[in-house]
Amino acid sequence: MRRILVFAIVMVVLVGVFVVKLVDVQIVRASALNVQAQDARSVPVTVYGARGDIVDANGQVLADTVMRYDIALSPKQAAKGPVTREVPDPADPGKTTEVEVPLEQVVAELGAVVGLTADQVQGIITSAIAENPDDDFEYVAKLVDTATYEAVKKLDIPWVVPYQHPSRRYPNGAVAGNLIGFLNPDGESLAGLELSEDDCLASEDGEVSYLHSLKDWVRIPGTEVVHKEAHDGGTLQLTIDADLQFFVQRIAEEQRRAVGADWATVTVMEAKTGRLLAVADVPTIDPNDPAATAVADRGSRSFTAPFEPGSTFKALTSASVINAGKGDPLSRVTADYRYEPSNGADINDSFFHGPTPYTMTGMLIDSSNTAMSMFGERLTDQQRYDDMLRFGLGERTEVGFSGEEPGDLHGGPEEWDNQTKYATMFGQGLTTTAVQIASVYQTLANGGVRMPVSLVDSCRSANGETTETEAEGRRVVSEKAADETTAMLERVYAEGWLADKWNIPGYRVAAKTGTAQVPDGQGGYLSGYLVSVSGFAPADDPEFVVSVSIMNPVKMNSSAASAPVFQEVMSQVLKKYRTVPSGAPAPELPATW
Amino acid sequence: MSAVPAQSIPAPERAPDRLRWLRPAPEAVRRARPRLAYAIIAVAGVAAIVVAQLLLSIAVTQGAYEVDKYQIDQAKLARQEQQLREDLDRVQSPQYLAANAEALGMVPNASPVYLRLSDGAVLGEPAAADGAPGATAPLVPNALIDGVPLVTEQQTEKTPTQGQSPAQGKAPGAAGNAGEAIPDHAPAPPPVDGTLPTPATH
Repeated sequence: MRRILVFAIVMVVLVGVFVVKLVDVQIVRASALNVQAQDARSVPVTVYGARGDIVDANGQVLADTVMRYDIALSPKQAAKGPVTREVPDPADPGKTTEVEVPLEQVVAELGAVVGLTADQVQGIITSAIAENPDDDFEYVAKLVDTATYEAVKKLDIPWVVPYQHPSRRYPNGAVAGNLIGFLNPDGESLAGLELSEDDCLASEDGEVSYLHSLKDWVRIPGTEVVHKEAHDGGTLQLTIDADLQFFVQRIAEEQRRAVGADWATVTVMEAKTGRLLAVADVPTIDPNDPAATAVADRGSRSFTAPFEPGSTFKALTSASVINAGKGDPLSRVTADYRYEPSNGADINDSFFHGPTPYTMTGMLIDSSNTAMSMFGERLTDQQRYDDMLRFGLGERTEVGFSGEEPGDLHGGPEEWDNQTKYATMFGQGLTTTAVQIASVYQTLANGGVRMPVSLVDSCRSANGETTETEAEGRRVVSEKAADETTAMLERVYAEGWLADKWNIPGYRVAAKTGTAQVPDGQGGYLSGYLVSVSGFAPADDPEFVVSVSIMNPVKMNSSAASAPVFQEVMSQVLKKYRTVPSGAPAPELPATW
Repeated sequence: MSAVPAQSIPAPERAPDRLRWLRPAPEAVRRARPRLAYAIIAVAGVAAIVVAQLLLSIAVTQGAYEVDKYQIDQAKLARQEQQLREDLDRVQSPQYLAANAEALGMVPNASPVYLRLSDGAVLGEPAAADGAPGATAPLVPNALIDGVPLVTEQQTEKTPTQGQSPAQGKAPGAAGNAGEAIPDHAPAPPPVDGTLPTPATH
């Protein structure tokens, strides 16, 4: 009886211990143990979302995401000596035999694959060991391509591990590199559209884990757990045409070198829509290798470097005068080469001439500052300022490029001094960007209706939703004012001093040159000039606007430097888009009276 | 004593009752036999399920290895696809195309001329191409095509492999004099056999 009692007590205690342990494992520490178990049996794997592509208007890829690999090794394991490798048995080709490969040979093989010498690889191992004998991780090479990755895998070195590293690639090199921008090696966007359109392009990495078999790491079906979904970025479609962009960049760079200029920009815009077809900035960055380009040349000056436009601005002032009903192409002034208005300003022409009976057309053909001043003073400063604002000057364009500048209209009429009041009529004393000037000419070409400037056509997200920007025009000047200004600019093209330099046979063209002084930032002007040409064609039914600016061409300090670029680019644009040549020549307008 | 008869009297009455109650007994014997059959079926069913489970499990595991193999294949092919796409993008970049066109002796003509079909009018002013631009490579850099040979440099390797057109056999003598730059599959009208003629390219 006693024995039974003892046995019963032992049983109760034993069962009690089990129950306590059970509660402890199943309830008290359940979650912690679960995590531990999951960690022990499963591997978390990063699933990379691909950053979106940037494509041109025709879908040609300008930037895409590719998988690159970082090659790492374990110095600790490497230092242990020779590597055992299985090779086909020379005696029996069907079987393999294990051979010892000395470290020197392994290191040389690895170096040859990743582009280092054996000594360099050995150096990585030796110096890492010297610093920390337990060092288990050092990079040998970063961002190597797939071929190298395959070669490394083939070497089958147990202490070398490749890691995936998504990277960015720009198949067209410097074509539109100024616009696209670039990323740093860690994948952060640093400049250009990569930065300003990051919301569209950015992807999100996900994470999954799964259980695997112990020996060969085969995934066990049904054990996959998605901790976080990966999301691909959207595709950014530009209005840029890569082929045209290439051509324009090439012409611009050729001329920039020929005339020894600091930089040059060329903008091509659709006259009826405001879409930018090409925006060339030279020198241009190749985003595959940003470090090869000077820091100042890595962006797009067309958006970020405002300048005093000079005489190309006279088209805007003329359109304002006609729009206000204060003149027409045949309006008359008599202008000397020097003009001293009553407010004390002092205006000079760039060439000497006696009192000349200019029509407004003649004023533009000869680009006379004094005659321009006489027409311009028919308007109040406020009227001209309001027109400038309506043309989109003094504020950033709709593009919203990263680092874009709004230009500076010198504060407005209240802050203009007497000289500035007149200087602003012919494009000095205020600054605009190259794209703004192209937009002004787009407005004139489009019958006085300014279209929003667009560089991005759409953003197509990974699940197929497309975001497009609405384009609605805004009337700036009357159709009559725009058309009459166009007619005058046609005479400038036909009769100006560069007529034979920018001739495009078969087409009617409207264009205006500018040779602007460049402010030195301290109230004075530098000795160099910014030479430019802006215009559009065909003038009878404008389709394309081309605007060329060349900064400080030391070998040819006049707009003769920019005219050939205008001619070549405009010819190419007209040819590329199969523009029907104009039938009749431009109507005559008298330059003098 | 009186009790006995008293007890015995109702007994015959009860007996028929009992007999009636006992009547189902043979049925109970019959019921026992089907139960065994059910048990066998149940056990056999369980066994079948266990076996099926085992087989399924084996199949799934086998499938896992197959899936794994295909996933590895897929990853390999994806890498290969990426590599090929990179090559393709590289060679279709404008820099590479322009450099090749120039190496082949092509020049751009800036003056387009159009023929209007409705009235045969010639629009535009024809002018000969002057072939002004040269050496484009350094003007618009592309780090990706550094070291990729132009078609003219690949010519020597490719020439022996082509020869689908019978006209080519006669052509090399004539075209060969013009230099390496001109490919020796010079204009030869493709034979028309009822379908649209397509150029024989390599």
